[in-house]
Amino acid sequence: MPPEAAPADPVIRLVGLHKWFGHLHVLKGIDMAVRAKEVVCVIGPSGSGKSTLLRCINVLEEPTSGEVWFEGRDITDVRVDLNKIRTKIGIVFQQFNLFPHKTALQNVTLALEKVLKMPKDEAREIAERELAHVGLRLKADSYPGQLSGGQQQRVAIARALAMAPKVMLFDEVTSALDPELVKEVLDVMKRLASEGMTMIVVTHEMGFAREVGNRMIFMDEGIVVEEGPPAEMLAKPTHTRTQAFMSKIL
Amino acid sequence: MITVESVRPPRGLARWRSDSTGLSLSAGTAGTIAIALAVIGPIALVVALGATPVESLIVTLRSSELQALLVAAIVAGSIAMILGWGTYRRMPTKLAREQAIAGAVLGIQAVVLASVLLRFTSGRVDKFATIFLDFRALRPHLAEFRHAARNTLVLAFAGEGIGIALGLVLAVIASSKRAAVRAPARTYINFFRGTPLIWQLSFIYFGLIIGFKLNISAYEAGIIAFGLNTGAYAAEVFRAGIQSIERGQLEAARGLGMSYLQAMRHAVIPQAVRRVIPPLMNEFVILVKDTSLIITLGLLSREYELFTVGRSLFADTFNATFFVATAIGYLVVCLPLIRLVTALERRLRSGLVGVVGHAA
Repeated sequence: MPPEAAPADPVIRLVGLHKWFGHLHVLKGIDMAVRAKEVVCVIGPSGSGKSTLLRCINVLEEPTSGEVWFEGRDITDVRVDLNKIRTKIGIVFQQFNLFPHKTALQNVTLALEKVLKMPKDEAREIAERELAHVGLRLKADSYPGQLSGGQQQRVAIARALAMAPKVMLFDEVTSALDPELVKEVLDVMKRLASEGMTMIVVTHEMGFAREVGNRMIFMDEGIVVEEGPPAEMLAKPTHTRTQAFMSKIL
Repeated sequence: MITVESVRPPRGLARWRSDSTGLSLSAGTAGTIAIALAVIGPIALVVALGATPVESLIVTLRSSELQALLVAAIVAGSIAMILGWGTYRRMPTKLAREQAIAGAVLGIQAVVLASVLLRFTSGRVDKFATIFLDFRALRPHLAEFRHAARNTLVLAFAGEGIGIALGLVLAVIASSKRAAVRAPARTYINFFRGTPLIWQLSFIYFGLIIGFKLNISAYEAGIIAFGLNTGAYAAEVFRAGIQSIERGQLEAARGLGMSYLQAMRHAVIPQAVRRVIPPLMNEFVILVKDTSLIITLGLLSREYELFTVGRSLFADTFNATFFVATAIGYLVVCLPLIRLVTALERRLRSGLVGVVGHAA
């Protein structure tokens, strides 16, 4: 672990990241850095390793080799307390994954109380604030089953934000939503970006990427094929694989 | 504005009138009469002529009235079978077809039941009734049976309580990704699932009083043994429940910084527990009956449970009606439980319990 390899600058830095699932080589050496307040959009065909990449960043998937640097530490080091690190890296999933046996409010307060050991009142205060922030103040006592997909996903975002993370990871968070519910979730994310949150967003929403993203990364077959400013990449991708992908989705 | 005229098709009795045919009605009626003759007939006859004393029951069972009743059931059942079977394919409406099929099916049931009863009452039914159906002898012992039913429930509830607590812990250990952690739980579970409960009872009883030099009664040892045994089965039920919870739940909890055990405790297990309530209650129904095995340990008379009390009274009197009473005791305890499980399963399946996620 070379200490000089930890520049304070990027919030997240991936160095030579590889991931194997059995015989399947899913990530084939990813290097990338995300600076504070940057919104990075990751696009690519299905099976290209985008989600795996995201899940390696908070080590929900353990990288087979390579390093994940967060706040100047390589968090793939076994001596790192990942539970502590994960409180600072929020993640939102495609399938929401709200706890169905808990209300929206309890979904948000759970980790505040059990992980950050916050007193109940304080946790409740924060949770109410975060739910209001995503426009769901009135749904605090609803169970996930009583909420629409868009509302569930906003609760999931509030749940992650309540931990006051340094980075937010979004894993195709609108892909499981009915088309008319996509916008309410994207709006929350846009505001989050404008408030200066550092975000890594795996998405198929090219409009969002163009409008909000500072940088776009195109992945295919486990490698970063091309990256650049979203507008530029959407208009005239340089690599043939990127061109092929763009022509299919645009 | 488009107006759609909506005429609701006839329902209930009106549909019954418009959709039935003469044939389908005859088949259905014949079947209903046949099953009524075969089931309600004998019961009504026994009630009318008295089940006690046993002599009057014997008279009833051997009476020509009962025989006539059963023969009539067989005849009506056969007619229903022939009518229903022969015609249901040609019925013009869905309702008529269902009537014809119902007639045929009820007819078969009536014929089978009546034939068995007929054959049975033509045997040594007097001897059978004297041994097994002499209900007069029960009356003075009803209090003992009530007390025994209480003991059966105490044994089952205590055993189940220990078993559930133990099973939950074992299930979490057995779900570990580390083989060294899993191994003892697996060994325990496989051992208790792989050996007979009747052997476990005496092994544990004598193991505790001789090996551990504990001064405990057979009754207490029984509770422990039932608990240890149930723990193994409950562990498997819980493990299946834990595995049935979507992976995303664990990941969401871990993603928020919870440790594995915190995530299990707060996110996974509460959902798993709700999901396994019906199978756990099924295990409980099994345990209620298995408590009878404690008879092998030798109980004090105040500790007698349903089976022991039946066997002991039989030994005193050679009247096997006490065994029948024992069976009725188990039914009284178990049937409500079985119905409860069925109702719960239906609610869980329809998602009314409100804990089944709508996320996916």
